[in-house]
Amino acid sequence: MIKIENLEKVYKTEEVETTALNGINLHVKAGEFVSIMGPSGCGKSTLLNVMGLLDKPEGGSYKFIDTELLTLNDRERSNFRKRNMGFVFQNFNLIDELTVFENIELPLIYNKVPATERKKLVNEIIERMNIVNRSGHFPQQLSGGQQQRVAVARALVTKPKLVLADEPTGNLDSSHGNEVMELLCELNETGTTIVMVTHSSHDASFSNRIINLKDGHVISEKINKSRNEELI
Amino acid sequence: MFKLNLKIALRNLWRNRGITFINIGGLSIALAAFILVMIYAAYETGFDKSNPNYDRIYQVGRSMQDLKTNYTPPPLAQAIKDNFPEVEAVGKMKSGAFELPLFTNEGTVFTQNFLMADYSATQMFKIKPDYGLEKPKGESVSLFLPRAYMQTLFPHKKDNKPELVGLASKSAGQSGEVIGSVFVDPHSNISFDALYISNDLGKGEDYGFNNYQTYIQVKKGTDIYNLEQKINKLYQTELAKNSGNDDRFKSTTIFLDPLKNLHLKPKTGSDANYKVLISVSVLGFLILIIACINFTNLSIAQAAKRAKEVGVKKVMGAYRVQLAIQFLTEILIQCIAATVLSLIFAELVLPGFNSLFLVNLTIWQSNSSLIWQLPLILFFITLIAGIYPAMVLSGFKPAAVLKGNFQTSKQSYWLRNSLLVIQFSIAVIFITGLLIINSQLKYMRTQDVGFKADQVIYVKNIALFSDPAIFEPIREKIMKISGVKSVTVTNSIPDGSKLGTNTYAVDAKKELISFLDVDFDYFETLNIKLKEGRPFSKEFKTDAVNSAILNESATAKYGLTNPLGKTIRGCDMDYKIVGIIKDFKAQGFEKAVEPTIYTLKNPCGNPKTMIMIKIEESKMSETLASLKNQWLNINPKDGDNFRYQFLDQLYGKLFQKQEQLQSVFFAAAILTIFIAILGLFAFAKYITNGRIKEIAVRKILGASDLQIMKLINTSFFTMVILANLISWPVAYILTKKWLGTFAYRIEMPVLPFIISALITILLTIITVSLQATKAVKAKPVDALKYE
Repeated sequence: MIKIENLEKVYKTEEVETTALNGINLHVKAGEFVSIMGPSGCGKSTLLNVMGLLDKPEGGSYKFIDTELLTLNDRERSNFRKRNMGFVFQNFNLIDELTVFENIELPLIYNKVPATERKKLVNEIIERMNIVNRSGHFPQQLSGGQQQRVAVARALVTKPKLVLADEPTGNLDSSHGNEVMELLCELNETGTTIVMVTHSSHDASFSNRIINLKDGHVISEKINKSRNEELI
Repeated sequence: MFKLNLKIALRNLWRNRGITFINIGGLSIALAAFILVMIYAAYETGFDKSNPNYDRIYQVGRSMQDLKTNYTPPPLAQAIKDNFPEVEAVGKMKSGAFELPLFTNEGTVFTQNFLMADYSATQMFKIKPDYGLEKPKGESVSLFLPRAYMQTLFPHKKDNKPELVGLASKSAGQSGEVIGSVFVDPHSNISFDALYISNDLGKGEDYGFNNYQTYIQVKKGTDIYNLEQKINKLYQTELAKNSGNDDRFKSTTIFLDPLKNLHLKPKTGSDANYKVLISVSVLGFLILIIACINFTNLSIAQAAKRAKEVGVKKVMGAYRVQLAIQFLTEILIQCIAATVLSLIFAELVLPGFNSLFLVNLTIWQSNSSLIWQLPLILFFITLIAGIYPAMVLSGFKPAAVLKGNFQTSKQSYWLRNSLLVIQFSIAVIFITGLLIINSQLKYMRTQDVGFKADQVIYVKNIALFSDPAIFEPIREKIMKISGVKSVTVTNSIPDGSKLGTNTYAVDAKKELISFLDVDFDYFETLNIKLKEGRPFSKEFKTDAVNSAILNESATAKYGLTNPLGKTIRGCDMDYKIVGIIKDFKAQGFEKAVEPTIYTLKNPCGNPKTMIMIKIEESKMSETLASLKNQWLNINPKDGDNFRYQFLDQLYGKLFQKQEQLQSVFFAAAILTIFIAILGLFAFAKYITNGRIKEIAVRKILGASDLQIMKLINTSFFTMVILANLISWPVAYILTKKWLGTFAYRIEMPVLPFIISALITILLTIITVSLQATKAVKAKPVDALKYE
């Protein structure tokens, strides 16, 4: 589904140039769950941002089911993003002024889904995430694990083809972290493609494939056999 | 989506209600000031605007070597009408201030400002008496009075028939016919409280009688400059026919002054009103712009809190335009709230504003244009206050803000620094100005003016008392009343009125000096000090014939070292100087005391009618009561109504203009310092928000609260000092110029400059420290914790 070739990204400040991505090649198949690992500053978040169309690389190509995404303008990128991608962040990034229900509803509004259908979709996902009794609460009133569930719900409500997760368990304790990882697995099993950046090899063990980055290069790729066997 | 955005907006405003309140409040106060200025400007520029021919009416004036006047000779109007077809209509008017009592059995009114107009002038200015106006026949003159006067004189009148009123004094037995009532438009250049309409004015008077205002109404598309030249040529020709080759007339030219300029900047008068209007408008506009910029700054200071929202929405596919519109809408909501509040403020302040500027403005009725102007202003301020924050906020890069390490940019620091310095500079100028105005007014109130107006009443009267012998029996009767200390009569009281001038000669040295015609006891009544010689006295028979007293300035002008006994010649008379008085400030503090000659007999002066009575303070009310009771007996020729004013109040009116200026400066000083503090507040908040991490780190490393306070205050302290340094010379030059308009003034004081510096520095430290305290008191851990 995703074909990334020779991706280059350089951060420039007045004095230094930092190469974040240095000729990355990456292919992701539909239905795959890929983890990206590596030390701090290896370029993994940059790669995720580029994949999420939040950042523009200097060179290379990024094809998403045969569509070249790097040549799109801002508006086209926005449109593509909202139709095809969902995001989960380390720090949840829920809007504090909106309730749980309203937060989850937001991406549907940007996708111009009619109000009645929105209500149906949001209620469905709230039920699935087991946060029904929280739907009228504001994010500040929830625990970290609950907030991340809401964030995942928000990422899924549009039924995206690709979910991008940036250290989704980074701010959670291990039991809440596991809950979230299990949620992502369930999701993957229903056919959603997931690309996740993580520091934790425990989290990575939930995925099909682990990619190691260093200094902007892919240094190793590992198929997670146990997980793939499960699949088979 | 709109509903959700609205929810976000309202919840956000509510959560930061302190800031919201300051932001909306500050904007609404500035907007209120701006609305008042707009109404005022619309009123001041709207005189006669309801006249459909507003743009085509011109006043004819004459320009002499050093004087422009609107007094024109009566035949000129007809000549213009006869010669120039582009002139549709001409009208003549004559007005004057002259108090005349009109009475019936029901009541008495005093007309003070009569206007004589010919029929065509009333048509030109749409002056319509209530029951219509018939063209007066032949030489007849029709008198119309304002509705309020008619109501007093004829409270039971139902029909529209003419009525008889008594004129002047009952004893005179004169009466006249009033045709009816007329509406006097307060918003017109043509004002009056008694209107005489006739078919023609100034019949039989030639080009030497420059006593009339002439107005012309031209056809559409007339070349005014060309017409002016043609009228001028006509005037020169006619003048030559009438007055021969007098050179003085040859240098006189004609000019046309458009009706729309007559109220604010007439060529024949002062354009002070216009200057006031311009400065007030500029000030109002500046205040509004600065308030908008402050609003912007505060919004951006709050931006960090919205960054995450922007990031999330962008990730979900929101376009930048959508977000920009969302923020603009939010600011629009705040601006609407500010506008509503500002209307309330304006309504509250309006009575004070009206009494200060001596106008009668209302927000809704007088000015319907406000209804369409207000949405425009709203749109305008939303744009200035909102565009920048909307751009900044909607421009956040989601990849950066969603990581949680968001920092607002520092690139616009210099812009904000200079804005803050400018705001404080303006505030310092107004504070310094206010303090210096206060000092000068205090000086004027405490300084010896050379005469005592306290306990002196000025009695209005229309009987003539030019000859001391005629006034003597009246004086005797008044003096009999207990409590009266002295009595005199004159043709001008010391209330700032300009005296007549004439050429007088001493030893062949001719000088133009002022003259004042007085009666015995004038100097005693006003407690004016004698320098040498003696005052006028009944013991000297010649005093009523040809004695004169000069003031110090006059002797100085003539260079007389030993003036007593010398002869001064003027108005075909020889006077003997019998005394010299010390200068007294009858004209107030703005003009230097004029060289003046005081005489009892003066063929060139106006008749003496103004009676002044000095009364013992302890017996004031009973003496006034006795005077009122006996006035008809005392002054049979004009004794029906005892009308008086206290001289100290009349003299006090000379200070009115300066007191008005003081009030304007007071309001401006408060407003500008308020807005500057608001700007400072926003900026300090922004800066401390940006430095929270730095402060936390410093605290962990052992910085004391005081050290951190100092750290935050220093840059602001520098800016305020800079603002003071910038505005001191400006304030110095402006106040020096203002003080220069006074002949008697204080030395430029130093204290106001120091005080305004202290005020601004103190307010700055308080404002900044309030913000800094929050940052200092916060637990450093919270600031350093991730997310």
